[in-house]
Amino acid sequence: MSSIAEAVEAGVLGERVWFYANYHCNLECTYCLTESGPNVDRRMLDADWMVERAREAKELGFRSIGVTGGEPFMVSSMPSTIARISEILPTVVLSNGSLFHGPRLERIVEALAGKDVHIQISLDAPDAVANDTKRGEENFADVCSAIPRLVERGLRVRIATTTEDLQQEDHDRLCALHREWGVPDEDHVVRPIVARGRAALDGIGVVATQADLPAELTITAEGAFWSAFGPTVRNGRTDTDMLITRVTAPLSRPAEAMLRAAGGRVAGADATLGIR
Amino acid sequence: MLVPALVVEDAPLLMRPYYAGGDPGPILATMAHVPELTEVAMPFLGAALGASSVDFRTKEIVIVRTSALLGCRYCVDSHTTVALDAGLSFDQVLALRELAPSAADSDLASAFVSSRERALITWIDAVAFGRGSIAAPANEAIKANYADHEIVEITVLIGATMLLNRYATALQLPVGASTLERLAVEGFGP
Repeated sequence: MSSIAEAVEAGVLGERVWFYANYHCNLECTYCLTESGPNVDRRMLDADWMVERAREAKELGFRSIGVTGGEPFMVSSMPSTIARISEILPTVVLSNGSLFHGPRLERIVEALAGKDVHIQISLDAPDAVANDTKRGEENFADVCSAIPRLVERGLRVRIATTTEDLQQEDHDRLCALHREWGVPDEDHVVRPIVARGRAALDGIGVVATQADLPAELTITAEGAFWSAFGPTVRNGRTDTDMLITRVTAPLSRPAEAMLRAAGGRVAGADATLGIR
Repeated sequence: MLVPALVVEDAPLLMRPYYAGGDPGPILATMAHVPELTEVAMPFLGAALGASSVDFRTKEIVIVRTSALLGCRYCVDSHTTVALDAGLSFDQVLALRELAPSAADSDLASAFVSSRERALITWIDAVAFGRGSIAAPANEAIKANYADHEIVEITVLIGATMLLNRYATALQLPVGASTLERLAVEGFGP
């Protein structure tokens, strides 16, 4: 067993490797970690390159892959890329849920139905006003129509609620919605806004240090970072405080550096803050 | 600066030990943009420039002279103060800083009377400023005055200094305020 596999087994390193597939997005959420939007530098990872890194991740002892952005499904080849990655390791792809219609939906269903893939869709509040204030006009309606559509077609959906202060009543209403759509409670994640990226500029969210963030190796076009909450962007500049290495291939190089960074890590609040 | 120096709050995880003692200086703080390079470069530069079997004074002669030949204001100024601390006189540092690349220069000869140090300066000039193979007199002088392992160390130090010279010059690294104050006190001010 490799040192990386042992560290994953022991929980020193997270079992998932994240890919920031791209940084552009059709939305501009108020708390976005990466200042994503329609006109940002795309900073895309090549499809074949991600598949090769996924193979290396499996060989090293990682157990799953996460794909995030930006909005990954803005990239037309993403469904087939995720399908290829999921043949190697179980995969979760994060999405804003606003692009699942028309020919794009058909391509996604064709590529991903029956695969070991979860699509994790953001839904921050149980009503349009509260949700769309943070995520953009019509997002609530888009998500409410997209999730049942995906579930009906055999795709596995998770829901992520990112919030500063979710009241019990709103939590219950959200749960009623996802249960109605066929998404079980274990596939509904509630997590805090992290005070990085656009949220930090707006003075919202919980302050998180290395100790508070999951030890998940995260690969971007600009390097490897500690946690998917690491490669955040402020005023157009990527934060370097969670940077591990600029080199990202072979994956063993950032993985070994990540392990060294984990070696000096003190017990943190990632569990108590619920950052995931 | 061409590239911003990373402050402690922006320091990548594996770079943080370098900030433990405060401001690590602009070389480290810019190189920290590439942690995996810095992790290799800093131990090498530390071994090449730091304490070793070649004495402190000799090393500072190498660094100041090489930096002057390469025209690196940051390195010349920074190591002028270090050279003084290493026991070089004002005239010796001035000669290393300002003279043209010729060990036969009369001012340089008057500043450095030791044949061993004259041989060293001739070697530095040939390695750092010359092109192609080293001329026989420089080879013979260095062989006559230094052991083989010392020649290796000195030559690596010249190369390492040249790397830093071009790095500091190209990235427009600023000389620190405390260094500028010390230079003024020592008579090396503008």
